[in-house]
Parts: sequence; C-alpha cells; structure tokens
Amino acid sequence: MASDPNSTDHPSDVSEPIPNPSHTEEERLASISLEEPEGNHVAVSRLLSNGSSLPADFHAEDEIEVVEEELLGEGSSSHGGGGWREISEQDGEAVPCSPSSSGYAGERGSSGPSSGIEEVDDGVNLQDDWVPRKRHDDEDDASVSWRKRKKHFFILSHSGKPIYSRYGDEHKLAGFSATLQAIISFVENGGDRVKFVRAGKHQVVFLVKGPIYLVCISCTEEPYEALKGQLELIYGQMLLILTKSVNRCFEKNPKFDMSPLLGGTDAVFSSLIHAFSWNPATFLHAYTCLPLAYSTRQAAGAILQDVADSGVLFAILMCKHKVVSLVGAQKASLHPDDMLLLANFILSSESFRTSESFSPICLPRYNPMAFLYAYVHYLDEDTYLTLLTTSSDAFYHLKECRLRIQGVLVKSNVLVEVQRSMLDGGLHVEDLPVDSSRRSRSVSPYSSQENNISGSLRPHMGLGGPAGLWHFIYRSIYLDQYVSSEFSSPINNSAQQKRLYRAYQKLFASMHDKGTGPHKTQYRRDEDYVLLCWITQDFELYAAFDPLADKVSAIKTCNRVCQWVRDLENEIFLLGASPFSW
Amino acid sequence: MGLSSLNLNEAVQICIFDLRRGQHEGQELDKILFFFPMEFPFSAQLSVIGLCEGIITFTRIFSPDAACEVIEAERHSYVFYEAEADIWMVLIMEKSKDNESDWRFDALRGILKEVHYLFMMFHGSLRALLEKQPSGELARSRLYPFVIDYLTDFYVGKKLQLPSFRDSLRERGTVQMLSVSREVAIEVQSLVTVLGSLCVGNTTCKSVIVFHDLLVSTTLSPEDTTNIYTYAVLRLTPHALSSGTNTWSYLLKGTSATSAAAGFTGSVSDGSQQSSSDASSAGQDQRNSVPRPLQREKWFKGKDGFLTTDIWGAEVGSLVSVLPTVWLRETEENMNLCIYQHKNLTIVILIPACSLLNEQGLSLAKQQLVENAYQKIVNVEEKLSRGWGGENAYHVSGYRYLIIDGDRHISRASPPGKVTTLAKDSLLTLNRVREEVDFEKTRAQRTNPEHEKDFEVCIRAKNNAWVISKVTRGKELHMVLEKANETLLYATETVEKFSNRYCEGAFSSD
Repeated sequence: MASDPNSTDHPSDVSEPIPNPSHTEEERLASISLEEPEGNHVAVSRLLSNGSSLPADFHAEDEIEVVEEELLGEGSSSHGGGGWREISEQDGEAVPCSPSSSGYAGERGSSGPSSGIEEVDDGVNLQDDWVPRKRHDDEDDASVSWRKRKKHFFILSHSGKPIYSRYGDEHKLAGFSATLQAIISFVENGGDRVKFVRAGKHQVVFLVKGPIYLVCISCTEEPYEALKGQLELIYGQMLLILTKSVNRCFEKNPKFDMSPLLGGTDAVFSSLIHAFSWNPATFLHAYTCLPLAYSTRQAAGAILQDVADSGVLFAILMCKHKVVSLVGAQKASLHPDDMLLLANFILSSESFRTSESFSPICLPRYNPMAFLYAYVHYLDEDTYLTLLTTSSDAFYHLKECRLRIQGVLVKSNVLVEVQRSMLDGGLHVEDLPVDSSRRSRSVSPYSSQENNISGSLRPHMGLGGPAGLWHFIYRSIYLDQYVSSEFSSPINNSAQQKRLYRAYQKLFASMHDKGTGPHKTQYRRDEDYVLLCWITQDFELYAAFDPLADKVSAIKTCNRVCQWVRDLENEIFLLGASPFSW
Repeated sequence: MGLSSLNLNEAVQICIFDLRRGQHEGQELDKILFFFPMEFPFSAQLSVIGLCEGIITFTRIFSPDAACEVIEAERHSYVFYEAEADIWMVLIMEKSKDNESDWRFDALRGILKEVHYLFMMFHGSLRALLEKQPSGELARSRLYPFVIDYLTDFYVGKKLQLPSFRDSLRERGTVQMLSVSREVAIEVQSLVTVLGSLCVGNTTCKSVIVFHDLLVSTTLSPEDTTNIYTYAVLRLTPHALSSGTNTWSYLLKGTSATSAAAGFTGSVSDGSQQSSSDASSAGQDQRNSVPRPLQREKWFKGKDGFLTTDIWGAEVGSLVSVLPTVWLRETEENMNLCIYQHKNLTIVILIPACSLLNEQGLSLAKQQLVENAYQKIVNVEEKLSRGWGGENAYHVSGYRYLIIDGDRHISRASPPGKVTTLAKDSLLTLNRVREEVDFEKTRAQRTNPEHEKDFEVCIRAKNNAWVISKVTRGKELHMVLEKANETLLYATETVEKFSNRYCEGAFSSD
C-alpha cells in the first residue's frame, strides 16, 4: 500500500519497535501494510548486509516445506525418529547465522535443542519424547518462515505491548502486537468485541481478559471453541505463575511492561501449547488416572489423606500427566484445568526434577487472586508428589509430610506398582472382551495377581480392536475423569495421533455446541474415520473406527467398551475419596 | 472513533468498496461504491470500511491467497465477498437478543454473490464500469438502485430479514427443477428445438423455460441458467407479476415488499451521494436513464402473451421500449431478452444482441414464435398443468430435506410451509451442521480441488430430532427427522429409503 518498494528501511508501521501512542486505532489499522514482496526483500538485504551468507529466511522456508510434506504422511516413515534432529543439524550447519541471531537461541538455557519446526513428525509418541523448542528468535513478522508457522500464540497488554509470542522475539514483534491491539480496540470502541476472523485456512481468535489480550493465529482448522479454550488455558497458565493481581500493575500504569515477569517460563508455555495437540484433558476438562489395582490406589490415598488432615490443602501424587491419587482438605475442590496447568508447570520446569522445591503458584480456578505454595518432590523418574498449602512458611512441615508419604509408598510397594503400570500402559482396544457373558472375568490387567490369560490373549500390537475399533475416550461426568485407550495400529505415529486428536476435538466441539448442545449421539464418517459419540448423564464416549467399519458392529462395540470401562472402573478411575464428589 | 457514538441501530449494513481507490489521505470516500443504509454518515461508513480494509490487509499477512472471509464479533457478524479483484462486498449483520440471529456465513455470502451475479448480468463488471468512468459515478449510479431494488425482496414489513437458521433447508444460487415424465420431456425438447431455431439472422437463440417457479428446461450453462432463473422467479413468473403474493418460494419471501420498496424509489437517485464535484452533466443524464432491472412492478404481460417493460427506457423520439439486454458469463455475449408467458409457463428467449438490430427484428421474432411454437407451448403447458402437484408436490411425509447438486446448481427441498413445522432446536442444529459441512467442503477444496469430499454427519439432538448431512460426489443431502425412532440404525435406514426412492441411490451406502 503505502510502502515504498525501493526503501531498505522497514517498509511499514508493523515493525515499528514501539507503537506510537499518538496514533489512533484507525490510523494504526490503516497503517497495517502488506509487504509480501517488499518485506522479503528487506529481510534479505538486511541479512546480506550483515555478511555474505545466504538469507536465513530462504532456509527457513525450506524447513517448512519439509514439514508440510511430512505432515501429509509421505515423509514420516523414511524420516523415522530422526526427523527433527536432521533438520536441526541442517539448521546449524547450512545456515550461517547472521550476527543478529548468532548464539541467541542457545542462550535460552533450559529450552534444549530442537528445530522448532512446528508440526514435525518425529515418529515417536507425541507426549513422551517431546522436548521444548527454541523459539526462532531471529524471526519476526516480516519473515516468511514466521508467517508460515501453523499456529501462533500471542499475549499482549491492552496498550499493545507484547508479553509472549510462541515464535519470534517479542521485542521485534512490537509493531505486530500493536496491530493486534488496534484491531481489538477498534472493535471495542464500537461497543463490540471481536471473537474471531476467518481467512482461507487461517483463523485468528481473540480473547480479552481485562488488560490482557490473547490471540491465536492458526491454520490447523481446529474449531473456534477449541482455540478459544486453548487461549483460556494459556491465560490460566499465566495466572498460575503470576495471579490475577498483575492487573493492578496495569491500573497503576497502562503501559506497564509485563514480559519480564514471565522471564524464563517459555518452556512452560511451549509445553502447554504442545499439550494442545496430544492431551485430551485440554479440551475434555477432565483428568486421567494411571491404571492401578484398587488396593494400591487406596493405600496411596490413605497416606495422602493423613497429611491433608494436617493442614495441607491438596496432596497430589502424579506420574507424568496421570494421577495416582489426590486428596483435598475439607471443602476444597480442585478443578481439572488447574490440575492440568499445575502438572504442566511442574513437568516443564527442569528445576523441579533436580531438588525438592517450594514455589508460589496460583490455581486460577481455585482462587485467581491468591498464591498458594507448592512443595514439589520427585519420588522417582516420573512420579512426583505435590503438596499445596496456603502458608508461605510451611516448607519444613511439608518436607516432613513428604518423608512420611514416601516411606509409606515405598513400604506398600505403591511406587513399584506405579512403574509397572507405566510400562504396561493403559487400556488396549485389542483387549476389549469379545463376549459380554465373559466380561466379569475378563478383568483387569492391573490387579496385583498375575493375569496370564489376559496377557496371552492379547493379539499383536497393531491389529486394532474388534469391528475396526481403533481408539476410544471415555469420560465420566461425575468423576471429572477420562480414560483413553492406548494408540494402536494404524494410529501409530505422531502425525496420525495428532490427526485423530483433532478429529476428537472437532467432535467434542460439535457435540457441545453452545447454542444447541449437548447432543445425544453423533455418527460421523469421512475418509479418515468413522467416529461415534454418545453423551448421557453419566458419561461421554468418543470412539474412532476404521472408515469402512460396519455401523451395526461399531455400535455394538461401543456398548461393549462402555461395559468394559464400567467393569474396570475401580482400577482406571480414582473413586471415593475424591474431593469432587460433593 | 467508535460506532456506538452514532447510535445507529441498523440491523443490516452492506458496503461495497474498491481497494484500488481512495488510498490517499483526504480521498477515502472515493473507495466507497455502495453503502447501505444510505443515511449512514460518511464518517461511520468510513469507519466500517476502515475496519474491513484493515482486517483484509492483516489476514493477507498469513493467508495471501484467501483474505478475510468472516469477522465474528459478539454483537455483529461481518461476511466478506471479494466480488471482483480488489472489489469487496461486506455484509454486516447485527445480532438480536431474541435468539434469532443464528445464521450460516455461506448462506449470507450467497446473497452478496447473487446480487453481484445479477448485477454483472445486467450491467457488466464493476471494474469495467469504473474503468469506463474513473470518477466512479457510473458504477455507483448503477449499483445503488440495483442493490436497493434487490433488497426489497427481503423486507418483511419494514424489517430487512436476511436468511437465518430458519432457512437452512434452502439453497440460494441454485435452481429448483420440475420433474417431468418422459413423454412430457419429449414435448419440451421439441419446443426447445423450435425456440432455438427462431431465425434471426444466422444465430441460434437460447431459452429457459419455467413452470410456476420451477425450471423445466434450459439451454444455458448452469451459472447463466441460475441467473436467468433467479431473475425470472423474482420478476417474471405469474407469481412475481402478481407482485409478491407468493410465499412458498424462497426467492419471494417478503410479502409486503412492495410497500417497503416504495420508500426507496424516491431516494435511490441520491444513491451516488459521493458524487464528486467534477460529475459532469453527462453523468447526470446517465443517471437519470439508469435501467433498474430489479425494480418491482415494471414488467407487464401484454395481450399477445409477451412481457414488456420500460425499465430500459424508450428509444429517443419513439414510444418503443429499448430491449432488455443481459450478458452471459459462459459465452461472454450480450443477449436480448424476449419473454413469452402462457398461463403458468414462462419462456425466456435469449436472442444474440448483435443480430437483433431494432424493434422490427423483434416483431419478426415474436411473430415467428407465435407461428411456429404456439401450439407446442399450449401442449406443454397443458401437460405440465395436468401433472402439477401444487406447492407441496415435493413433500415427502416424515422428512424435511434439502438436496443440492453443486455441479449442476440444482436443489430440491421440502416445501417451506412444511419446514416451518420443525422445532427451532432442530433447525438450529441443522444450521450448525451445515456450517460445519460448508467448512469441510471448502477445506477439502483447498487441499485438493480435484477430489470430491465424502462426508457424513448424523446427530441426535437434545430434542431427539435426527439431523443428518451427507456429502458425496459433489451432491449434498441435509435432513431433519423429528419423529424418528431413537436408534442410529433406524435413522440410517430412513435416509437409505429416501435416497433409494428419491435420489436414485445417490446417498445410499453401498
């Protein structure tokens, strides 16, 4: 538009480092300028002027092309598990860094190595081997690679100051951030509030939380409700670190720069964002338990209850993202979203692993205004105990509690059982009892006694269940808990898992439509799956079948899944001592 | 500057603007080609367009090929349509509190598409008009009355009522066909042959035949057929001529449209309100003689069976009307319209404009038509009337349905009177499902335009209605079953039966 193609300066207001406060929203809106061709020239010439190297943008573009190929599924097998590493090496060797970006990525200490290429298929389980990614600080809104990222998340202040960006350096995105602010404010000045904008495959979703604006720009084709829910969780994660009292800073000074307050928490946000593509808890608003024999979980619950009675608000024993047991003090209840955010915070912060910690955190659904104090200690590689209290000087008391708990857990073999369960995994669709008359005996692989029959009957991994059943998620409404089957063939790489996850997400959004839902039943068939969903007062079932599956047998199979889950509920759910039951 | 300060409670706004114009400060008004309501102050118009323009530019950062399609806000929906390169049409719908404002974006975009297609048919492209007269006067002076006349069909009382969830068993931009027996089809074919050979010079005429509001035959491409058919149903059929007493066609929804339209006739000439000071007197003259093809009650049936109008004005120095002309997208030809009506049979004959030089040529053509085709027309009309099942001819008891054949621009649906018996919740759910189907369709199209999406959704809603959508090989079936059994298998069988009996098995599973 107004930009001069010959100019070597940045051609638009978009990249102005600081939004000009004297600009009205209209002026800012008017100044949004497209610099597709020119912008690239500028980026290139800037890089070239810094050295004779190839422009990084071009390589970045190559990277993204590679990723998209892999996503289509062709590349996944040949690239195997090394997908991102190969690219990452390429990243390091083939692209000489411009001075502005050299070494910068490395400074993000705990972030660890990664290509940062989104949606890359590394051929391994989505949730286990993920490493936080570097954020491509050399990118900004003029970079082709930045524009092609599949899913951006931004947090900014109501004055347009950047607080967080998933990709690129926030400071370089000040102009872009100001543009987002201008859009939101412009609509707000008209007495309205913008929810989303749709353009081709892209969707821009806005969420306003007082002085904090959150924006997602995505071409993942997730439904609006899903993306909005993700922004809510990102906001929740921010509150978990800062509490809502941060709003006061904006009351005192609207131009308050909040980004330093979140310094060093990149990994927390990127791990949460990663969870949006594998963890059903992010859209189901329910948590999941590690399958355990009823008595084992009872034993863990009993000792947690003991300490809860001694002034601990919540005592939570978890293994990775799965709950082993949890108890709360009287009348205190823990929202599944808070559990998700807390677990994400602990699991993504390296420091918790190395020593026992005592850290202020806020549970946004419990009380967004106040800090609680979390004592966190890893009992083994994956299992960690979290004790929450309102008192800031309870460290030694909680340490004692932990020692007692640890003693009991070791003595009663709980930790061993937990590890065994981790190795065994959860429900496998192949194990779905064939005949309902035999179901009462099919039982649990999780009971303490050896169950050779069920073990030997299990067919080879990769056959899928009866009637073409590939996967299911069962959510118990009263318990706020869900159980999902292990992935089996053909859903055996992360690209396929993510696709199925997104299909579930869509199904969930459709079933829980704000205006008309929740619906009772849904059958949906496309080239990828047959999906079935039931919602009753007690549970929700989501099941995925082979797209050629026969409707009649699929329905029968769903009924069997429900029966199976009910038969196993003592092992797969946390019952009874739950703080939610009242 | 916000809009709230203006206290404008207009529930619907439509703007058309050209991004190639008015890009310099002080000349912003130049980009506005149309704005409804016209009373909106320029500052407010510019504010709306500024937002739209800003978002278009913003979305192009990430999606250069497909810029903004929708802005959804809490109180308004903005639906975008890039009618011609850099010429944008935006429809802004205010949400009401009565829970009636649930609509489908593609259905609303259909309105913008329809009015633009019709405009192109009568006036050519906006870009061409803008190039012909860079001041924009010509384009504006045609656009204003045209869109305003078009909107008159959407008035219910004094309220402009655009399609909502209640219309989710209708599909704009498609034609509704009349099913005829083989015997009648042969008669129709022979009539079409005669119409085609109406000799005017060496050219062939084209024709579109409509019975009541249903298409009987066409020799045009699907797109051109849709345009002519839409126009015929809006203004030419006996129903349309008797000025909107018809309520069963979706195209003639507003019953009291005429009275509302009357309010506009006075003000449309002010339409080109941005008239720059350099508007020449030639421009003024032009404006006065702007044909308004969508103006109501301008077509009359003569004693000879031919429809006449003075919409296109009269020849200088004569009382003879100028022939209506349309532009065909497929052949990029200008055609003169000649319309003959016998009882409920409306025959639109399109004669290449180059071959028909004057009124004499037309008289000759008319004479030929009467001589060669009259008996056939009477025959066809008789046979069609005999087989005519009335408004509810396509009602299938127990079903509320819509079938769309996207490739051929054809749809068939339960009669609107029957659709109104559905519960609001059923229609709301169907509306959402259709929105999702639209989304999946465009998505599939974007990923692989060659591949036709195969897709099926079947929902048992809270109110126990089954809402079903099936997309297969370019065809769509949407259905609501309210009194069906609760099992999914029952619903599936019911659809299967329908598909086998009424859709030649197009939606049956193998």
